[in-house]
Amino acid sequence: MSSSSIRFDNFLDRESSLGVLLMLPGLSILAVFLAYPFALGIWLSLTDTRIGMPGEYIGLWNYIDLLEDDIFHQTAWNTMIYALVTVPFKAILGLGLALVLNNRIRFSNPIRAFIMLPWIVPTALSSLGWFMIFDPVFSPLSWLMIQMGLIESNINFLGDQVLAVTAICWVNIWRGIPFFGISILAGLQAVPEELHEQAAIDGANQFHRFMNVTFPHIKGIVMITSLLSIIWTFADFQLIYILTKGGPANQTHIFGTYAYQVGMSATEIGMGAAITLYMFPILAFFSILLLRYMRKTA
Amino acid sequence: MEKLNDNQPTSISEETTEKGMTRRQVIKTGAAAAGAIALVGGFPYISSAQNKTLTIVRGTHFIPEAQEVAKQQAEEFGKQAGVKVNADFLNWPDLQPKIGAALQAGGIDVVELWPIQNHLYATNLVDMTDEAEEVGARGGGFEEYVLNSASVNGRYLGIPHGDSGGTIAYRISAFQKAGVKNAADGSLLDMTWDDYFAVAKETKKMGMPFGQSLGHSLGDPIGFCYPYMWSSGALEVADDGKTVLFDTPTFEYALNKFVQAWKDGYDETGTSWDDSSNNRAYLSEKIASTFNGSSIYYATKKRDDGGAMMNDTHHMLMPKGTAGRYYEAGSRTMAVLKNSPNIEVAKEYLKWWFQPENYYKWWGIQEGYQMHHVKNLANDPVWNSDPKMAAFRKIPGLGRLRGFAGDPNEKAGLAASKYVIVDTFAKAVQSGDAKDALQWGQRQLERIYR
Repeated sequence: MSSSSIRFDNFLDRESSLGVLLMLPGLSILAVFLAYPFALGIWLSLTDTRIGMPGEYIGLWNYIDLLEDDIFHQTAWNTMIYALVTVPFKAILGLGLALVLNNRIRFSNPIRAFIMLPWIVPTALSSLGWFMIFDPVFSPLSWLMIQMGLIESNINFLGDQVLAVTAICWVNIWRGIPFFGISILAGLQAVPEELHEQAAIDGANQFHRFMNVTFPHIKGIVMITSLLSIIWTFADFQLIYILTKGGPANQTHIFGTYAYQVGMSATEIGMGAAITLYMFPILAFFSILLLRYMRKTA
Repeated sequence: MEKLNDNQPTSISEETTEKGMTRRQVIKTGAAAAGAIALVGGFPYISSAQNKTLTIVRGTHFIPEAQEVAKQQAEEFGKQAGVKVNADFLNWPDLQPKIGAALQAGGIDVVELWPIQNHLYATNLVDMTDEAEEVGARGGGFEEYVLNSASVNGRYLGIPHGDSGGTIAYRISAFQKAGVKNAADGSLLDMTWDDYFAVAKETKKMGMPFGQSLGHSLGDPIGFCYPYMWSSGALEVADDGKTVLFDTPTFEYALNKFVQAWKDGYDETGTSWDDSSNNRAYLSEKIASTFNGSSIYYATKKRDDGGAMMNDTHHMLMPKGTAGRYYEAGSRTMAVLKNSPNIEVAKEYLKWWFQPENYYKWWGIQEGYQMHHVKNLANDPVWNSDPKMAAFRKIPGLGRLRGFAGDPNEKAGLAASKYVIVDTFAKAVQSGDAKDALQWGQRQLERIYR
């Protein structure tokens, strides 16, 4: 065996060097598909680049300019509403779902698989389904309510500000409940049965057992799931692009859809990058919160 | 692009690298090595495979038969030229982002550009002035609206092919019941907006309101809102290209009227309609009138109802406002992207497609849906064969471009892409406060035209 191959073997034997070697493929992928686009995005946001035309460095002008943009204000507000209103609903309904599924019921496995469908089905596909349900002219929901005598004309689900925001939040909640449900269910199944039995012997009722035995065990999962959900919802795009394209009158734009409209449709890709990067500090805050919590619980 | 993606792997696997390695062999050398190649310089055989594929991206056609013809013609060219052709037809709002992505990353050779987009992407398009002028000369010269919109600084960056014209489609019986004289012949109707809104009020009482899309869509919302603005004496911008003349007293007055008409005579769900919603609403007899291309009328001809809806449908000119009657009209352009690896093939395709026998096959089947781009086609039998298409023939003479009275430049494109004018209408009908909506629109336009 040559000395170089011995050195190579030793190199592979060392945990630290092997670790670096094994990490390299993943790191390369992250560098190419995450770090590079992110750095490029930051650079673009500091320029007046338009699609197909090289731009010049303009400092923070895009960021400053957006602060005076009515549509951007509305977009920021919509994003906050969208992310922060939907998550508590998803958490509470997901918890309820998990508690029901945690009981021993017949066909529990097929039921669990069925309940996961909204989460598993590609968002673009399920959003198209909802788009048809909310159709301004041919909504089956409106039709049903008219037939039942509850309303006289079609509901303007996606054309009225309050209804449109409600509709997109509703679809987001519908899509997100299974994720919470199944995550919390996993936590519930890890709660030792003996604790419940002891509490019951001590006279604790169902509610007290939930608050004092179950909840402390699943608190961590609820917290982590909620933080993840906030991050994903902030960065959503498909659902809103398919349902409303940010309309009516920009009332359902969130950062992703407005950045797409400005950057890709209106060709101001520098400005579009700045819009998405306004998300960065918010997402970073929640990500740090998530990581700190996970480290603490670990 | 589904089709392109389906096709690419096949051609890649069949290709070999310069060193004679197959794709399978490359994979066998290990993922790390492949990753390193990708990082350093990419796969040479991917680009060589793409050299043999001509990718054409166009907007979807509202006359399905014309799209089928366009697709068949692309395939026919492919056979003749010995290249593989992918022709994709995208939803209109998705077209521009797709072009934007192609300008950054490549992958498309020929694109259909909507009016003004030739100005937006000017530096990325292949100059085809000679070819375009030849097409124009062969047809007796381009129409005025084409001349005004299709050239960028005197150069044609592609070959213009007109645009789908839109005007007012209506149900004759509903108009007659509402007391409209001469409703049976749309060419005799010369309404003001007040007249038109009065009819809407009557037909809504009969359970058939008017329908108008005010959603985020590039066709009907813009085709209606811009002309209404112009006919009310307002402009996006003055001819200096800087002074915004949007929030004017005459437009405020007219927008208030529209807000009232929306309540009294329109289907109020129109704020979430797209380009196809009004077609579907009209064809399912939910609305009595709408602004649209002739695709609605074309669809009535195909209905299996003994011609009942076709006979009851007519077209009239856009109503007049205090400042006149206008249409939003500019030409679309078939263009070749500069970053295409197949520029010569792409140019040959366009030259071939614009040959009279090919172009006319596509244009004629639309029976007037597509406005004529050259003067000779203004006298084509298509126009005379059906008197119900008469209104469409007049659109080129009443057309203005987005951005009027300024240049049709990137700022006008930005205003349209951000739906500023359309959203002003949507805001006004939602809130009922036309003044507030106008002030919002003025602020947005001032940001764009500063």
